[in-house]
Amino acid sequence: MIDDLLLMTQIGGRTAAFRAVDVQSVIELEQISHVPLAPPHIKGLTALRSQALTVVDCLKALGLSAKSEQADDTVAPQAIVVIVEGHSYALIVDDVRDVTACLTQPRSVPGNYGVGWARAATGMVETAQGPALLMGIEAIVAGTSANVDVDVEHVRG
Amino acid sequence: MDDLLADFVAETREMLEASEGELIAWEADPSDHARLDTIFRFVHTVKGNCGFFDFPRLERLSHAAEGTLAEIRSGERQADAELVDAVLAIIDRISLLNDMIEAGHDMGDGDVGDAPLIAALEPGWSALAQKSDELCAALNTHTPTGPANAPRSIRLPVDLLDRVMSGVSDMVLARNDLARRLREAEFGSGLDPAVDGSFDRLSTILVDVREAVTRMRMQRIAHLFGALPRLVRDLSAELGKLVVVDIDGHEVELDREMIENIRDPLTHIIRNAIDHGIESPSSRIATGKKAEGLLTISAWQSGNKITVMISDDGSGLNENAIAAKAVANGMLTQNVVDAMSRDDILQLIFEPGLSTKAEAGAVSGRGVGMDVVRSNLERIGGTIKTTSSPGQGTMFALEIPLTLGIIAGLTVGVGDYRFAIPRSYIEEIAHSMSAAGESGELQFSQVGERRFVTFRDRRIPVLRLAEALDLKQHDRTYDPIIVIVRLASGEVFAIEVDAVFDHEDLVVKPLPPAIMETGVYAGTTLLDDGNPILMLDMPSIAQQNNLVDPVRIRSAHNRDDEPADDTANAQATGTPMIVCNSFDDRRIAVRMELLHRIETVGADALDRDSSGDRVVIDGKILPLIGLPPFANGALDLPNDRLRLLHLTDGNATVLYAVKTVLDSATMSNPVSTTPGSGNSGNNNYVEGLALIDGEVATVLDGLTLFRRYGSASVPVRKLSCRLPSGEPWAKGILAPLIKAAGYRVLAATDPDAADVSFTMSGPDDRATNDTDRDEPQIATIRLRASAESPDADNDDTIYRYDRDGVLAALAKAAGGRA
Repeated sequence: MIDDLLLMTQIGGRTAAFRAVDVQSVIELEQISHVPLAPPHIKGLTALRSQALTVVDCLKALGLSAKSEQADDTVAPQAIVVIVEGHSYALIVDDVRDVTACLTQPRSVPGNYGVGWARAATGMVETAQGPALLMGIEAIVAGTSANVDVDVEHVRG
Repeated sequence: MDDLLADFVAETREMLEASEGELIAWEADPSDHARLDTIFRFVHTVKGNCGFFDFPRLERLSHAAEGTLAEIRSGERQADAELVDAVLAIIDRISLLNDMIEAGHDMGDGDVGDAPLIAALEPGWSALAQKSDELCAALNTHTPTGPANAPRSIRLPVDLLDRVMSGVSDMVLARNDLARRLREAEFGSGLDPAVDGSFDRLSTILVDVREAVTRMRMQRIAHLFGALPRLVRDLSAELGKLVVVDIDGHEVELDREMIENIRDPLTHIIRNAIDHGIESPSSRIATGKKAEGLLTISAWQSGNKITVMISDDGSGLNENAIAAKAVANGMLTQNVVDAMSRDDILQLIFEPGLSTKAEAGAVSGRGVGMDVVRSNLERIGGTIKTTSSPGQGTMFALEIPLTLGIIAGLTVGVGDYRFAIPRSYIEEIAHSMSAAGESGELQFSQVGERRFVTFRDRRIPVLRLAEALDLKQHDRTYDPIIVIVRLASGEVFAIEVDAVFDHEDLVVKPLPPAIMETGVYAGTTLLDDGNPILMLDMPSIAQQNNLVDPVRIRSAHNRDDEPADDTANAQATGTPMIVCNSFDDRRIAVRMELLHRIETVGADALDRDSSGDRVVIDGKILPLIGLPPFANGALDLPNDRLRLLHLTDGNATVLYAVKTVLDSATMSNPVSTTPGSGNSGNNNYVEGLALIDGEVATVLDGLTLFRRYGSASVPVRKLSCRLPSGEPWAKGILAPLIKAAGYRVLAATDPDAADVSFTMSGPDDRATNDTDRDEPQIATIRLRASAESPDADNDDTIYRYDRDGVLAALAKAAGGRA
């Protein structure tokens, strides 16, 4: 884990890190087609060149609500593209920062972050830019639906 | 590898595959000269190509095969199975060498390996071969050192293909963008009209390329089916069965990767069908079937699925063996299994750990097969189901999702949304007439919560798509349009939309699990403007909105429910019943709570006489009802087996004979006790009539049943009775009488202890019996040989042919013992 590259992002005011090897690309979403009846963390579908991506709202996936309710519609949201079990997803983040190296092994997530983060993060790591939560992409795309029994220990594995 | 060589390899491979199929087909009908000519031409071409490329081994082999085929063509030689085997072996060897060429290996000169194959073509070879085991072994096992197995991937790397495909799609989008700009530019400063012509040419070329590229990924299932005749032939020969195979649906197209994924399951099922399903020729003839078994394999597309069906006309799945094995393995309890319908029991074969063959054959393995088949299929999003009729055959249906298919679809609009519906579901589209003056072709009506539309004198349930998808419904400014949908099950309903756009050929891609869980979508596709739209899952929408009868859509979900779970059945607000056909051809139903088990016994377990019927089960004699009256004569039981409902009230047991067990059902209607519905003929235990599953059934009355028969069963520890010694008549005449009285008959010399024994009283009025047998407490019945008694007053002997007397004495003896 040490020396692996991480993509640093901001989600809900916190620094969330993704393993760089998991990230296919970083894009700006222009058009999102809503999917009726989809779970709340699935914002819809979007097309990237000729591929359909499933758009995931990371905040909702973590069970958090947007800090400010006014959605800034003029700015195209930024998303990182990942692949989970053969399906391509675009995970919407508040901001994409930088790529940096991981300095420590992940340690357990402190309790005060809340249930949502505890479930979706695989651990806490140190980087040159400070501490960050290392995110598990499988947990994020699964969302907070009750059907998904995400065992926290398993996610950490 | 240079291009020419690559072409050679590919062409040779294709021709060999084709010749294999043709050869086997020709073998079934040797009078088909056209086919033989085709085979000959293939082999001839291969030979010619080999010469061009300087592959001496290949040339030798193909030359030998060609020569033999020429002789057959000209009538100089007759082809028999062995000769066909030999030619096939040569084709195999050429194939192997072809693979080696592709892999870049050196073939060597192979004289040793090839010679036996070529020699095998000679007439009289088989006689020779039998004398020489070494040559036989060489024929079968000698292979040149080459690649361990041919590469299992498809010929092109998939990633590369995907890149090309997405590149072409991007080109189409760029072209559309260019078209827009060109249109705008034309209104402006005006462009050189020649630009239009060039642009049109570009567009046309692009359409062609796009179509070609999408078809690259798809392959005709003939690719898979082509190898099947050979497989069936080889397996039949190995297993000693005669099998004819009928294949249909070669032109169905699947994603190549999917074809590879179903290759193994298909092979496995075919092996099972030939090994376990189809009986040996002699068994088949004995049951009145043709000696050759028929294996039918067919494929077809419907909506976004491909169905592949494999059926045989063999002996069918043995539900009793399956059920017994499930209980023996501890998978389910006997009670659960007894209440399961036949269909549910059959689906058990897909559970791990169930093998009903006593030993694993080399061909079929030990029952780790079907569960692996199912899990492999489910992994790729497919399903498998089976149905079977005993004695008639078995059918497996594999459903494979069209992950990458071009589906003809219709785009419809609801509010601001657009969706696609597979055209295969659409029967018709109807617009409602405007209210202004014209009598509407469409008339809507409402019954309770359900809306209907009357179209062409048909009343069809209709669903607003906006409702189904929980969309905000705008005030309608335009007339609704009805899309009439017919499902594969034949059910018809209608979907109300705001607009219908276009018919398009859509490339459908799979959706992630989170979206699939909604149950309303079958996939996603990109429109020409680059926007993704969702394809609707019509059967699922219909079911979710109660547009169709849920009983008709048998879903795999049923399997998860405990079949014998009465609480689950109670949700259906009815009484669980078991429905059967009785011997007097009535549909009868018995409350499940009375049913302990369903028994099947052989005709020899029955005991019938004018006083009633009995059956022996597990060493107990039990009362039996439900058979036609004894006076009607002998019973006609299929396979000499009898199906019985083992009814119990907790203490007593009654067996009710039925002709066939139909199914379990729920009786939600009350039983109507119509006068005259009971007490007819044989069945005195009728509670009344009820409507079950839409048909009338006679409901048995447990109360009267157990009032009559409610006694504990008689254990079969029968009393034993010994015959008198030295009396030959005793065996033939006395023994049956003793048996009828319920005793077990012992011969005079039988070492077992007897409860009662007969002795003959001799003329000297002394018992002539075996005094050396020391049997305490044995009741002795003394018989005399003559009708008149010498001393009538003092005689306790019974005339040996006095039936009533003997029976009375036996009963008396039993009374003291029982």
